[in-house]
Amino acid sequence: MNANGIKLGLAFYTTLFLVFLYGPLVVLAILSFQTGPEGGPQFPIIEWSTYWYKHLFGLTPPSRIAPLPIEEGLVRSLVLAVMTMIVSTVLGVTSAQAFRTRFKGSGVVFYLIVLGMMVPGVLVGLGMALVANTLGIDRHWWGTTFVLHVVYTYPFAFLVMLAIFNRFDPSVEEAAWSLGVTPARTFRKITFPLIFPGVLSAMLFAFTLSYDEFSRTLFASGRDLTLPLAIYGTFSVEVHPNVFAFGVLTTLFSFALLGTYAVLMSLSVRRARRVLVQEDA
Amino acid sequence: MTYDLELINVGKVYDNGATAVSNFDLAVNKGEFIAFLGPSGCGKTTTLRMIAGFESITSGDMMIKGVRMNDIRPEHRPTSTIFQNYALFPHMTVRRNVGYGLDVKGMPKAERDAKVDRIIATLGLEDIAERKPEKLSGGQRQRIALARGLVVEPDILLLDEPLGALDANLRKAIQNELKLLQKTLGVTFIFVTHAQSEALALSDRIVVMNQGRVEQISPPHQLYTRPDTPFVAQFIGRNTIFKGAVETQTDDVARIATSVGTLSGLWNSKGSGSVRGGKANLVVPAEAIEVHAGTDAARDAITRQYDGNLIDATLTGFEVVGHVSHLRAALNDGQQVSLEAHVDKYQPGRFAVGSNILLSWNPSEATVIPTA
Repeated sequence: MNANGIKLGLAFYTTLFLVFLYGPLVVLAILSFQTGPEGGPQFPIIEWSTYWYKHLFGLTPPSRIAPLPIEEGLVRSLVLAVMTMIVSTVLGVTSAQAFRTRFKGSGVVFYLIVLGMMVPGVLVGLGMALVANTLGIDRHWWGTTFVLHVVYTYPFAFLVMLAIFNRFDPSVEEAAWSLGVTPARTFRKITFPLIFPGVLSAMLFAFTLSYDEFSRTLFASGRDLTLPLAIYGTFSVEVHPNVFAFGVLTTLFSFALLGTYAVLMSLSVRRARRVLVQEDA
Repeated sequence: MTYDLELINVGKVYDNGATAVSNFDLAVNKGEFIAFLGPSGCGKTTTLRMIAGFESITSGDMMIKGVRMNDIRPEHRPTSTIFQNYALFPHMTVRRNVGYGLDVKGMPKAERDAKVDRIIATLGLEDIAERKPEKLSGGQRQRIALARGLVVEPDILLLDEPLGALDANLRKAIQNELKLLQKTLGVTFIFVTHAQSEALALSDRIVVMNQGRVEQISPPHQLYTRPDTPFVAQFIGRNTIFKGAVETQTDDVARIATSVGTLSGLWNSKGSGSVRGGKANLVVPAEAIEVHAGTDAARDAITRQYDGNLIDATLTGFEVVGHVSHLRAALNDGQQVSLEAHVDKYQPGRFAVGSNILLSWNPSEATVIPTA
């Protein structure tokens, strides 16, 4: 095949990829502007309107369609995601730091940690429910679910930090020690500022994975639902475009999160590049 | 009297059983400039890191000013380390970098600032003091690292190939600066390098290492002219080495039988006497070899003048590079000899390539080393 053919093939493949990635989202976004309350979640668009967005916030006159029961779920999911993010990142950073030196059994421990992201979520969720039942522990989103979210997201944070430390030049730390700086202070004042881009990535992973986690949460969360469960619950009655409107908003929220991450990252990377330049010259 | 630094039978065996350093003995006086010199993997950096406290010492003792340091953490040792890649703190300005070691000691601000200002002035960093290290040149960063290491007033400054990342001209300049700084401050320097020119130019004594062992500890000149071991003879300088067996040996001079005749040099054995017929190497520095035209007329006179150190050779190469003449010759047994001298001594055209020549040297300029 000639070079042009390859290029054409790759372009086609890339387009296909993008269509599959964003197609559903675009359809969802279009349908969210369906008129209400009589318009349904299907084409054609009867009339363009922002009715369902207003409906979400209770700004429409009462109708037969109940508001989405997601407000509490949203708060729970955000709180849970933040809790998970903090705990997983702290665990990820500290354990990756421990793995910088080989210790007895480090290979086994490594696989045990990584297993947390490998095992099927439904099984772990079910297992957690059984264990909780047997031990007489109540299932809550802030208890059993939280533990599962940490077990699931911690390996991601751990792997990100492992990669960061892999490229970290330890002589900067040794330089600090040799100046009389204690190891604890060296970590806070020298190591941490330099690994901060990695910490950001670990936080992003932990937050987003926890925020839309479904399968583990399904069995382990008990009575109070998280956002993904609450949305799933609305499907069992009747689907209205208000779910789509909410989907658009929450996607925008994710983009905002990514944007913040990108800004912070580019600041850190600029600094990291300076470090690289320093090493090269 | 106590030494600034003492290594007593120091050794390092890694967890996997590999030996990095063994039986390292060294006593360093205050204000001495010591170089650890050897090929890569010889254990010189490991030894430096053991002194700094970055590596554990698995046998022997390490003392600084008479205090045993084996189990003291690096931040509590009176040493500073300068790294090859400088290891500056990229998120701090030059001034913060330099002052950081004093900050953590809780030194009063006025005193700290005075010290930082003084060392910044000493190393000529005033203009860049408020900048971050990232855009500065290698030479500047090297000076920042020196300032940062010296401002905490260590008893011993440890330098791990500090000039390795600099280009040749800059290296020469910083080399001179370093020597001057060391003499002015009177701080003991331990300097790791694989470049013999650096070690020879800078140090009071050089520790030559090979495969985890100390081969020789000597002042540069002695190392150059009086190697103790075959390794040092082939590692330092440009020596021609003749293998042979001892024929006679007085206190000073030994004659050894080689494949190109009986040759002599100063006997150098550390302790062990010679055994007649024992194996030995004759080491002749490239600078000690004289070249004569291969005419029979001169032969007897030269033989007498150089105490029999005369061998026949064929000139195989003659090049002049700048102000140095490089000559190559083949001996009758096929061994290649290379030597060099100022161009004034051997001017182009003095000897024709392919002609017979005679090589000679004074016994006092050559060294005979017993070999195992």
